[in-house]
Amino acid sequence: MGSENRMALDGLTVLDVSGSLSTSFCARLFADYGARVINLESDDGFPTRREPPFLEGQSPPENSALHAFLHTGKLSVRWESLDDRVLDALIEQAHLILDDGAPDAGLARACEGLGGVHMSISWYGDAGPYADFVGSDAQVFALNGMLRGIGRVEGPPMIPSGYQTQLAAGMTAYIGALGHVLAGELGNASGPVHLQTSILESALCFTEVGAVGYFNTGLQGDRMGINRFPPTYPLGVFPCRDGWLGVTVLTPQQWHAFCTLLDMEELAKVPLFQSAVGRLQSLEVIEPLMCEKLLVRSSSDLYRKGQQARIPLAPVPTMEELFTTDQFQHRKAFSNAEIKSGASVAVPSVPFRLFHTPPHFGGQVASLGEHDGVVLP
Amino acid sequence: MIGPLRGIRILDLSMGWAGPLACRHLADMGADVIKIESCERFDWWRSWEATPEWIEDDGAEKSSAFNTVNRNKRNITLDLEHGEGRALFLELAKTAHAVVENYSSGVLPKLDLDYQVLKGANENIVLLSMPAFGSTGPWADFRAYGSTVEHASGLPHLNGFAQDPPTMQHVAYGDAMGGLTGASALLTALRHQAATGEGQFVDLSQVEALQTLACHGVLEFAVSGHSPARLGNRSERFVPHGVYPCLATEEEADVWVVIQIFQEPQWHALQQLASPMLDDFGDRADRLSRNDELDEALARWTKPQQGRKIMYLLQSHGFPAAVTNSAADLLHDDQLNARGFWQYRERAVVGRQPNPSAPYRSGGAPIEISTPAPTLGQHNHEVLQGILGLSDAELTRLDHLGVIGDRPRMPTGKDDQAQ
Repeated sequence: MGSENRMALDGLTVLDVSGSLSTSFCARLFADYGARVINLESDDGFPTRREPPFLEGQSPPENSALHAFLHTGKLSVRWESLDDRVLDALIEQAHLILDDGAPDAGLARACEGLGGVHMSISWYGDAGPYADFVGSDAQVFALNGMLRGIGRVEGPPMIPSGYQTQLAAGMTAYIGALGHVLAGELGNASGPVHLQTSILESALCFTEVGAVGYFNTGLQGDRMGINRFPPTYPLGVFPCRDGWLGVTVLTPQQWHAFCTLLDMEELAKVPLFQSAVGRLQSLEVIEPLMCEKLLVRSSSDLYRKGQQARIPLAPVPTMEELFTTDQFQHRKAFSNAEIKSGASVAVPSVPFRLFHTPPHFGGQVASLGEHDGVVLP
Repeated sequence: MIGPLRGIRILDLSMGWAGPLACRHLADMGADVIKIESCERFDWWRSWEATPEWIEDDGAEKSSAFNTVNRNKRNITLDLEHGEGRALFLELAKTAHAVVENYSSGVLPKLDLDYQVLKGANENIVLLSMPAFGSTGPWADFRAYGSTVEHASGLPHLNGFAQDPPTMQHVAYGDAMGGLTGASALLTALRHQAATGEGQFVDLSQVEALQTLACHGVLEFAVSGHSPARLGNRSERFVPHGVYPCLATEEEADVWVVIQIFQEPQWHALQQLASPMLDDFGDRADRLSRNDELDEALARWTKPQQGRKIMYLLQSHGFPAAVTNSAADLLHDDQLNARGFWQYRERAVVGRQPNPSAPYRSGGAPIEISTPAPTLGQHNHEVLQGILGLSDAELTRLDHLGVIGDRPRMPTGKDDQAQ
């Protein structure tokens, strides 16, 4: 039963037939741990190939850094070039097929022959009044309730940047899909299964607790301003002499230690300030004193001494600092996606580590159709 | 249990949000997840400011947060600092596939329950640790909450306006993403275990999990050497692109609608719908050069209208718009209700409670929630007798010793809540 050089997902075959951001990220997690992932691309290539940022000196469809991040370690086949029997056999033998809920009709028909798990990831699911809505990350953050709590009190609420809900849904789909693939291997499955993940429902994981809290108390957190969130204070990003410091002080012990760190002993014993909510109600008193103390200290000195005193203080690194921070270098938090031309781009590595069967860190990004005629069932 | 993961047993030592959410995913798919607390070191999501009055008032069973992330699990109490509690835990570990923990660094070694000890009890066990920064590296011992995780992820430098401080999104954004990452890690290790019989130590860095969500900034910097500009609600590519005020309702004064125009045909449709407010604006270049003016004009159109009505109107013309739901709105959202997302279950002490469904489903229906969150020590007898074969007399003795129990006791000055 030894497994030297074996990877955790060895032996699994995953087909991505849509190449949406969510299916691509889901499939990348499989590829990082050793599954054979085949991108079945149209002749135009996956949509992720057309998304910025683009690598200088590279030509479409091989110049998207976002595509490189999402597709290390996978194979690329143009499905329209496949013989029908080969396509059918590939699908029949796959353990998992990923699509965006609306795959090309030809592929959708072929997918009906799947013997394993079929996962569709769409913005709102296949039914309900929003099923045909056009989706975006900002829309999902509006509908999941997070957006309303971010930004200035008077508004407008602030749109979080990037592709956050699509990526979270890709990971959510990984959980559901791998759970059901594992069920098949454990003998717990009775046949093919078609799963679906809604990006909106996936993003409810960030806000569901607030909704249940409202059900029980009738209270919901109003937008309190930049970096202010009930029920905790001090919490936020504060300026120091040489940068920014992330502060969270929750328990009475942390409050006392924080007051000692900043030489604000007179605030440590105030009865109202012993609770996070009491401090939040008193931020007009606490904040000017705290900010005055923080502004004359260095961020690195404060978070290191704070951590020694068991206060969860942290730096707030810029993009540049992410690449130069000891901790992230030590953990190989970023690795290189290699493009066939020889170019490469630094991308986030898989965020979990199996120590006995480690993941790939970065890897090759297949050019469009690179494995045409090579991939066989 | 029924479900695809039936037959798999997880011992859940985790507390707060991330760890319990990770284990909830496996419980939802039918794994036997046994949550283990102690009467004194109970899950801090029950409260981090416990008082005797809170205990007397059954406060430990009233936390919405705790009850939301612990459904479908069993719950026992074991004092792991007591020799007998520790020994019983190791006996349970012999029957389990995995242990999950998110204690502060050093707690498991102090209890003499680190991976090597667990492996001595069960050669094939998986141990998942979920520290904020990972279990290796110079910051491995750093303490953190979900907010700290967001601070260190880089994400705040990608949000908000340039004139504002780096801007956070959430009071504990790292937690939920850490939970998803934890479930992913655990299932990956369980698949290897199923294929080979081998267990292993698994860790994750919740900060790295959130860095994944910052990939747009990471990639921009990697490609250009510059961070993306912080443009607030605007986009360099699309216009209009923002959040616009809507008519206040009796229940809600703070209503907004997100409108994003990704293609020129969408702009022309919006121009017609909002005529004459937008008649004066031209192509994308014109709109980008007059963005303030455009946002004001669009806000004049949205402000007298109901947000939900605007959303349906604009979506019926095929372009993205969404109203900003509040926490209250989530319980009545048209889509969530149509898909049966909230499953209501009776729970001891607090009565009928909404439970969010697992975010994946088969056959259109959500995975049914079997049981609400357990009460403290609810399954002491079921688990310790059913799995370990302890007698009633032994359980009574353990209860008198304080090794097990079903009521919290005041913590004795411990502060190990941050991960």
